Amino acid sequence: MQDQKTPTLNSIFSEVLQNLAFMFHDEDEAEIAPGEVWLETVIRYRGPQDGTLRLRCTRDFAVLLAANLLGTDPESADSLGRAGDAVKEFMNILCGQYVTARHGVEDVFDLTIPEIEELTETPDFTPGPEEEAAGVSVQGHRVQVLYRPQA
Amino acid sequence: MPSNVLIVDDSATIRQMVKRTMQIAGLDVGEVYEASNGIEALAQLNDHTVACMVVDINMPTMNGIQLLTRMKENARLRDIPIVIASTEGSRKRIAQMEDFGAFGYVRKPFQPEQLRDVLKPLLGVVDDAGSENANAELDLF
Repeated sequence: MQDQKTPTLNSIFSEVLQNLAFMFHDEDEAEIAPGEVWLETVIRYRGPQDGTLRLRCTRDFAVLLAANLLGTDPESADSLGRAGDAVKEFMNILCGQYVTARHGVEDVFDLTIPEIEELTETPDFTPGPEEEAAGVSVQGHRVQVLYRPQA
Repeated sequence: MPSNVLIVDDSATIRQMVKRTMQIAGLDVGEVYEASNGIEALAQLNDHTVACMVVDINMPTMNGIQLLTRMKENARLRDIPIVIASTEGSRKRIAQMEDFGAFGYVRKPFQPEQLRDVLKPLLGVVDDAGSENANAELDLF
């Protein structure tokens, strides 16, 4: 069990979002608009302990993230074209930070290359029994990160 | 005279961010070459001369550790200063990078000032304003 001084997934998610992309999350649930395209990005780490992080977000959020990272207009071709890459890099950084916060700096962990896929429907946001969830809303977009330890 | 730089990262977004940061920071940079993995980096080094490299660790095909290992074995490449820009937090792995001759390390997500401060001794600056050291997560080996 984590002690109270251990940073939570929520605090690390929030910190990485701010430091990387100057974006802020809040606890109020953002509304889910019909017809939105949902993406799921998965990264795993392996070492003395293994785990998986998943990010669910809309394509619109991914475009906004790319725009913030690149300093470009969300309508620009760069922002639209780099949306998937931006989310994958966000997950790479989040995972690296989370692994260190959860397991310390003494052990070596290998991170997989993040994989992204478009979902065919709006995801179920209820975390599984072994999952820790973070995020709810980022600048009006529903975003969720899930962590699952592996035995 | 401006110095050429090679950025090696599988994320095109990060490569563009690093490029932009170097421009904003006023570093004296000439041509900026890009590679998305170690194999592409070796190909770029075959075609171009660079003053330093900014290299990620976690990349497909050939990762940053494998790239540094290959460069260390090559007399023409082994002295090129390398700054690691990675999300890596393990002390052992950072020490391993140091053993391989990496010049410095910035942990992602980094602030522009952090990248500037670690690259400044290698590239020099055109405009020296705003060179405050952002300290956290920055290490010159």
